[in-house]
Amino acid sequence: MSLDAIPIHVINTLPVGPGLTGNAPPLLHEISELLRHLLATGETAAIDLSALPLTPADLDWLHDKLGEGEIGVTLQASGESTLNETACPGVWWVTHHNEQGAVTSQFIEVAFVPELVKAHPQDVASGQEYLELMIADL
Amino acid sequence: MQGPLIDTLVRQGVSRRTFLKYCATLASMMALPPSAGLAMAEAMAASRRPSVIWLPFQECTGCTESITRSHSPTIEGMIFDMISLDYQETLMAAAGFQAEEALHNAMKDNYGKYLLIIDGSIPLGVDGAYSCIAGRSNLELLKEAAKGAAAIVAMGSCASFGGIPKANPNPTGAVSVSDIIKDKPIVNIPGCPPIPVVMTGVLAHYLTFGSLPELDDKGRPKAFFGETIHDRCYRRPFYDQGKFAKTFDDEGARNGWCLFELGCKGPVTHNACATAKWNGGTSWPVESGHGCLGCSEPDFWDAGGFYKALSMPADPLKIAAAAAVVGVGAGVAVSFANRAKKGAAKKAHETTTLEDLEK
Repeated sequence: MSLDAIPIHVINTLPVGPGLTGNAPPLLHEISELLRHLLATGETAAIDLSALPLTPADLDWLHDKLGEGEIGVTLQASGESTLNETACPGVWWVTHHNEQGAVTSQFIEVAFVPELVKAHPQDVASGQEYLELMIADL
Repeated sequence: MQGPLIDTLVRQGVSRRTFLKYCATLASMMALPPSAGLAMAEAMAASRRPSVIWLPFQECTGCTESITRSHSPTIEGMIFDMISLDYQETLMAAAGFQAEEALHNAMKDNYGKYLLIIDGSIPLGVDGAYSCIAGRSNLELLKEAAKGAAAIVAMGSCASFGGIPKANPNPTGAVSVSDIIKDKPIVNIPGCPPIPVVMTGVLAHYLTFGSLPELDDKGRPKAFFGETIHDRCYRRPFYDQGKFAKTFDDEGARNGWCLFELGCKGPVTHNACATAKWNGGTSWPVESGHGCLGCSEPDFWDAGGFYKALSMPADPLKIAAAAAVVGVGAGVAVSFANRAKKGAAKKAHETTTLEDLEK
């Protein structure tokens, strides 16, 4: 049965294109809600993109809609990870790769700064130790 | 994030960020909320090494291959360093009496505390003579090792459900671990072979929470086996839209549509292939264009043809019987469906058909 047979008129049609499932647009609403929550409470959140039924085309669509922001962070830790701000500040597109370059997980993180970017106090302490040793050896 | 495990990792040159990244990915694979990654990282960082004894029984070593060949050197590999693997015949250098001594020492020293991993089924035929190690049957070894184990992990479909050795007519009388051991917690990690990260995930859970993860009715960790391949398949939207590949080289196959009609067992198979993928996240069966075989389900080998759609009766003998009873009924319906498919394939000028594969 086609939609014409029932008296319902679809106003917002889903994006059409090869490989598009229509599962990506609702995510934009969720991200918007998470941003509102971040501003109100300071609480961060993340959406696990690999846990959702999104085709590569859906991901491209979403990536395209969110756009590119000003900051891009590259992390070299058992494979490359990229944490790129989108055109909406506070929304980060986080992609983890393994050593072979395959994507192991992908998130949209809603935060002022993603957790991974921050240095751990313990690491800062050992960095400082190293610096002091270096100064002593000068 | 502090503790023995992270300290060891940092000494080996694994940064905290690497560990955090690993935990984020692991949490994603375990279908935990994204926030769980950080919590897991903190708990796991502080854990200690448990003793692990790994006994291989009637198996093909595919499970060991799967675990050890997960792209190296990985953090998964390092997590394995975090356990004290006291006995593993395929990996250890010791042999003969020395090896058996190592096993007995590990069992004695860690009595009641070690984790026992079993891969392979246990043959009961001819008093277990089909598979022996050091002159003793698998059954005898399992019973002895299980006595002092805190918990048992049945690795792979053979240890979990009997697997291929148990396939009809089961010449060796193969059974699973849970058919024999009744008084210990058992985690089944089926799959032929199982996914490496599932193994690491169970270990990570054991290290993080000091307990085994929540299990489903078949003894499998819900985190990885809670949903079907179909539930998490990236081709699922095409199923919902009714877009199916009808042969392996038609337009639907080229467009990456759902493989249900080509016999994909995704809808009835609980496993994490769709999210964890294989070969270091490169791909997985459905992504490479082939339906799921259902290898993590009991008796998958005898569950009918790999290329028969699930909506078709699985057992040809049962079809014949049903047709004989009902008269025309089922048999005609099946042959009619096959003929329709043949016709469609001919029209699309396809070279490979279901009938070819089922011959």
